Amino acid sequence: MKSYHDIGGDPAGRVTPDRPGDPIFDQPWHKRVLGLTVAGGAMGKWSIDTSRFWRETLPKSDYQSFTYYEKWLAALTNLFVANGFISRDEIANGAYDGPQQPLYKKALKASEVQAMLATGSRASRPATAEPAFSLGQIVQTKQPSDTMLQKPGHTRLPYYAAGKTGSILFHHGHHVLPNSNAHFLGEHPEPLYSVEFSSIELWPHTGGRGDSVIVDCWESYLEPVL
Amino acid sequence: MPHDHHDDHAHSLLPPEPALRVKALETLLVRKGLVDPAAVDAIIDQYEHHIGPHIGASLIARAWNDPEFKKQLVNNTDGILAEMGFGGRQGEHIVVVENTPACHNLVVCTLCSCYPWPVLGVPPAWYKSDAYRSRAVSEPREVLSEFGIIIPQDQKIRVWDSTAEIRYLVLPMQPKASFGLDQADLVGWVSRNSMIGAGLP
Repeated sequence: MKSYHDIGGDPAGRVTPDRPGDPIFDQPWHKRVLGLTVAGGAMGKWSIDTSRFWRETLPKSDYQSFTYYEKWLAALTNLFVANGFISRDEIANGAYDGPQQPLYKKALKASEVQAMLATGSRASRPATAEPAFSLGQIVQTKQPSDTMLQKPGHTRLPYYAAGKTGSILFHHGHHVLPNSNAHFLGEHPEPLYSVEFSSIELWPHTGGRGDSVIVDCWESYLEPVL
Repeated sequence: MPHDHHDDHAHSLLPPEPALRVKALETLLVRKGLVDPAAVDAIIDQYEHHIGPHIGASLIARAWNDPEFKKQLVNNTDGILAEMGFGGRQGEHIVVVENTPACHNLVVCTLCSCYPWPVLGVPPAWYKSDAYRSRAVSEPREVLSEFGIIIPQDQKIRVWDSTAEIRYLVLPMQPKASFGLDQADLVGWVSRNSMIGAGLP
């Protein structure tokens, strides 16, 4: 029911803050993973939603034992293979035997990096309908699995906020729906809301009175409370 | 056509040692013309030397010093950031949440590690840790105490879980001791953690 990447509210140990002067990257190879992941994404063959889905559906033992950049690296490798750019044999043999290939036409060039990072990729889209919910309206979330468009599937509704009652705090306009976009099923933009839940609603026994958690929810994650 | 086959796990064919794993993949991608190593270098250079929390700190310091700018930063965030040349990847939709004596804001991403990269740079290890991702939503006061911060009981805490492409930037309260300083001096008061809500200036 609850996926192993969906850990909000789980018991866990203390947080270890970093110290002033700690390096931005712990290991030199972390930088390469970051650079490769951003460059790979810039080819435009998969979205950030697809990348997230492939990271969160790594085998459980890998997801739980890999460090952050190992997860990125594994998912990136699998995405390149699944999209037909490299083969399992080439990875297993540790080599590609053919001649150096010219740069793929959609590959990111060094001269394009600064502009690409500065531009980003907006998730908002023109509105195609009026939002169903108004500011302050009381809504209830569905179950994460009921928002998935395939199984296993991607959703951004966390389990701790499933089936809970909250109120609409912001409306952000229409945004690309990750539940479809992750699986190449189209962008299907929907109204996106920030929904505020009282901590007591989420954790009746331990939640701080007066405290709250805000979760960004697409319209199809929500039902009106009559 | 891409598909969602997860049963083949090509990544397990890479060498066991992480540094060698990256090297193997990069070598393959470069040889096949899929990645320009100079582009990878340029991306790293951007995040090591150009994009970092000094950008967020300059925005906060200016907001403390200039009420008109603060209004713009809170109400027209994307517009003002675009005008100033900040924004972009993983910060396409930034919302600024202001701390007040009545409310302290804390930012997390429980499902992965979403973070406002264009204004804060690469997220620190603790932000990506299971401990922070798990507990920030359910016991924020305890988590904050591990950063050495005690939030008074009469100050509510709002925890922002970054589940969509909205990225949250905390506007901390200006410490009284810094009143009257100019913007250049105020920048030094704005710590990275204070813009996540896990610190105070």
